[in-house]
Amino acid sequence: VREVCLSASRVITGLGPDLDSLWRGVLAGESSVRPLSLFATGRYHCKNASVIEGLQAEGGRSRIHALLERLLQGFPEVPADSVLLTASTKGCVDSMERLQQGLGGDPGELPMADLLDRIRARFGLAAPGININAACASSTVAVARAASLIAAGKSEAVLVVCLDLVSEFVFSGFCALQALSPGVCRPFDRNRDGLALGEGAAALLFLSRERAAREGRPELMTVAGWGAANDATHITAPARDGCGLVQAVRQALKRADLEPERIAAISAHGTATPYNDQMELTAFRTVFGGRDLPMHSIKGAIGHTLGAAGGIEVALAANCLDAGLLPGTVGLLEPEESGLGLVSASAQPILGDYLLSTNSGFGGVNAALILRRGGA
Amino acid sequence: MMEVHLTGIGWVTGAGCGWGSQGGLCEFGGPPLPVLTRKDVFPEPNQRFGRMSEYAKLGLAAVAFCLRDAGLESWSEKRAVGVVASTRLGCLVTDLDYHRGVLLEGGGLASPNLFAYTLANCFLGDAAILFGLTGSLLAINETGEDGLGSLRLALEDLALGEADTVLAGICDLEAPALLADQAAQAPGALFVSLALAPPVIPTGYGRVSLAEEGRVLHNGNRCADLSQLVQAALAGRDGQAARQTARQLGSGQEPRP
Repeated sequence: VREVCLSASRVITGLGPDLDSLWRGVLAGESSVRPLSLFATGRYHCKNASVIEGLQAEGGRSRIHALLERLLQGFPEVPADSVLLTASTKGCVDSMERLQQGLGGDPGELPMADLLDRIRARFGLAAPGININAACASSTVAVARAASLIAAGKSEAVLVVCLDLVSEFVFSGFCALQALSPGVCRPFDRNRDGLALGEGAAALLFLSRERAAREGRPELMTVAGWGAANDATHITAPARDGCGLVQAVRQALKRADLEPERIAAISAHGTATPYNDQMELTAFRTVFGGRDLPMHSIKGAIGHTLGAAGGIEVALAANCLDAGLLPGTVGLLEPEESGLGLVSASAQPILGDYLLSTNSGFGGVNAALILRRGGA
Repeated sequence: MMEVHLTGIGWVTGAGCGWGSQGGLCEFGGPPLPVLTRKDVFPEPNQRFGRMSEYAKLGLAAVAFCLRDAGLESWSEKRAVGVVASTRLGCLVTDLDYHRGVLLEGGGLASPNLFAYTLANCFLGDAAILFGLTGSLLAINETGEDGLGSLRLALEDLALGEADTVLAGICDLEAPALLADQAAQAPGALFVSLALAPPVIPTGYGRVSLAEEGRVLHNGNRCADLSQLVQAALAGRDGQAARQTARQLGSGQEPRP
């Protein structure tokens, strides 16, 4: 089995144009969730989201192209034999909205294959690309597949590009589900009342350790384990007992050949909806017993970036492991009772080499990654 | 190169619904897709089916038929079976309906139920609930035109030990009017069940493997697309049935209808 390393990453979020601005922002307890001006919010009980400043639809094209352009600017050279995986739930959703409103646009943007082809062409990739849609766990599933392909020797290089936009389409739906917070997004808080949407993107280049060494490329972090499992209980609500998440985490531990005690920190999904956060706490208490370990969610800082969430969290995890520090959960005031000893509004030290990153989503999807500090 | 067993086939096309052991052919093209009702798919009442989007009904029906064919429809304990569904346009038709009804025609606040179906993977959540599937269930969009992307992922999962049984297939409604001139694929849904273990009752469907450069092989022969693979498997079924009839006639047994 080959070791899988993260060799390059780039991130764009509402907190800024790169990983450094995200890292500094969450450490400082900042949030980019603000009143929306992207569309009129008068009919909705929630008015806030995290959007990326200055992201314009140019020439009637989707804003996602501007996001992609910013994301990939300055990204290191990608090996031409890389497999391309993207993770997006709604792709060019803003183009669909404009076409429906009779404002023009190119319908050819709507199939996800169009976005895949553009990325392939940009990097001159030979192999066909695949977009993974596993709801809010899309990018976590994509990273798991990238790791799986490299570990088994099926590929030496995989580029994962994760991205989703804020749109009225998605905003209205989450509003109807009563899932959006009318106030401040407070993951794992006992008074949490919903999520905030966000837009963002991450580009992650994974290589086999041999390939990275051979080409003198950086080894930022290792993907040591991965797992994915379905709750098989409900389409939109998580299983109360966290059965799918428990199964996914245990798969990841088994793949990494680790006992739960070796996990030193958790980057949780932490949407701040009452049911999701309680489900996660239940699942983590099931896996880790009474042991307290630092855990956080960054969705109070940048909103829930849907298909991009897991990818952004993976990129940030490399910083966390490198610094030995897990930023606090922005928005958290009073931790949920079962989260006491796990979550904090302040940064917590990471006393070990392994971080667990998880995401869950509609359709009962759960996915887990175990990430190891670079050089460990 | 690891070979796995093809243990079930289920489909919904313009020519009708079916599954392998039921007989009949899986033919794409032709008339529009049938309007599916619960009775077309499930003998028992199912409160959710009528409320699903057309895309979800289409995909769920083909998954159900495939599981039926593979002997996996009935269950008492959840199983770690995975599903990979490849779709070109996903739930775009549902998206357009939702957007038109909720945001353009002022239909008030959105229907939470309809919104749930504006994700391409959500019908797989229904399949997970109905059939107790706890593996990795995901929808994919691919750039290739052969419809074999889901099979490649499923074969990789089986080869990498991620699962023992994975369903793989395609699911697409007719393209909406704004994409009518770009619709390259015939609409419909088709799923096959791939397993490490052979089927309990021989099907004659044969074996599938993944060769170099992503080539998908059926009994060692390259398949140009998913439809060709299924035609080859169904031909194997017919050969199996003929052999079984011959054996029964030779032993004086009454042939099974």
